[in-house]
Amino acid sequence: MSSRDQIDEKLERLVGQVLREQPLQRAPASLEARVLGELAARARLPWWRRGIATWPASVRIPVIAGCAVCVPLVWILSLWLAGHAVSVAAGPLTSLRGAAQVAASFGTITAHIIQSIPREWLLGGLIAAATLYASLFGLIAVGYSLLYPRPQYAKAHLT
Amino acid sequence: MFLLRNDDTPVHLASSRPIDPNEFTAFMRAYQDMVFSTAVRLTANPAQAEDISQEVFLRAYESFENLRASQKAGGWLKTVATNLTLNHLTRHRKRWRLFSEIFSEDTREEEFEPAAAVFDTVLTELETDERSALVEQALARLPDHQRVPLVLYHYEEMPYQDLADRLGISLAKVKTDILRGRVAMAGLLAQSGVGAPSDRPRLPPNTRGAQS
Repeated sequence: MSSRDQIDEKLERLVGQVLREQPLQRAPASLEARVLGELAARARLPWWRRGIATWPASVRIPVIAGCAVCVPLVWILSLWLAGHAVSVAAGPLTSLRGAAQVAASFGTITAHIIQSIPREWLLGGLIAAATLYASLFGLIAVGYSLLYPRPQYAKAHLT
Repeated sequence: MFLLRNDDTPVHLASSRPIDPNEFTAFMRAYQDMVFSTAVRLTANPAQAEDISQEVFLRAYESFENLRASQKAGGWLKTVATNLTLNHLTRHRKRWRLFSEIFSEDTREEEFEPAAAVFDTVLTELETDERSALVEQALARLPDHQRVPLVLYHYEEMPYQDLADRLGISLAKVKTDILRGRVAMAGLLAQSGVGAPSDRPRLPPNTRGAQS
């Protein structure tokens, strides 16, 4: 075992001992009252605003049974609606195709415009954007390093 | 169902379970310091720790049927307190994790020996009360990314790999953060006058809560 490992192990043992010997911190006096107050507030809620597990059995069982029936019903209804929607949507789909063609022609025009721009300009723009992004990132990083509170543990304090 | 407040005013509790009112209050009194300590050591913020402790006991009430006679109630409460606190910290952690990983200065080997000496002094020379206050202050002033793994490792005895998985960081970073945390803590204790002549000024009261 190297001397570094030995010192590291010693430090771990000492810190562990110091922390384990720490007594518990006393909870605020207000904690108990807050918990009891919250429990009382919850108790004042009507039954239907509490968890289903606490609902009366006379309500809970029909609700669960109703949900069990609803699931297959919703599934069947969804399938029926989907089949119906395909036939209804045939008309709007035609107009969507027209819209897609207009969008495609806009794309072609945009491509022509981009091709007409000198490549140096495009490259310059990309480099400028990347530089601005990096500068902003660096600025935030420097700001973080200056403002983020970190303990000072200069060697002078330890020796 | 009734519980007694501090002023002994009966509080009605809606529950179908037969929870003895005094029993839950006694249960809470028995464990509230442990739950609060777990939360406050991780958050370093008493107000947040109290919120978390409240949530822990509300969940305990829901499970009181099983907890009341369980020998493992303390462990259950501690686990819930730790998990709720870590969830709370995780929500805020994404903001500082990126930069904390960029600015990861190396801990110099020559800092280990003096750091160990500081803790040796803490153990051998300080009275229990003074030691307790100084250690809690120093711990609270560590940055989150050092304090959280340090507390989980030493107080909760969580292994390095579990820590890395739970905190979503690499194993190497967990080890480095804990090591740096120990050295930084020694530095803070030294700043507060541990191992120095008795006329050296002590640290001001904990200001960690104001940082978060």
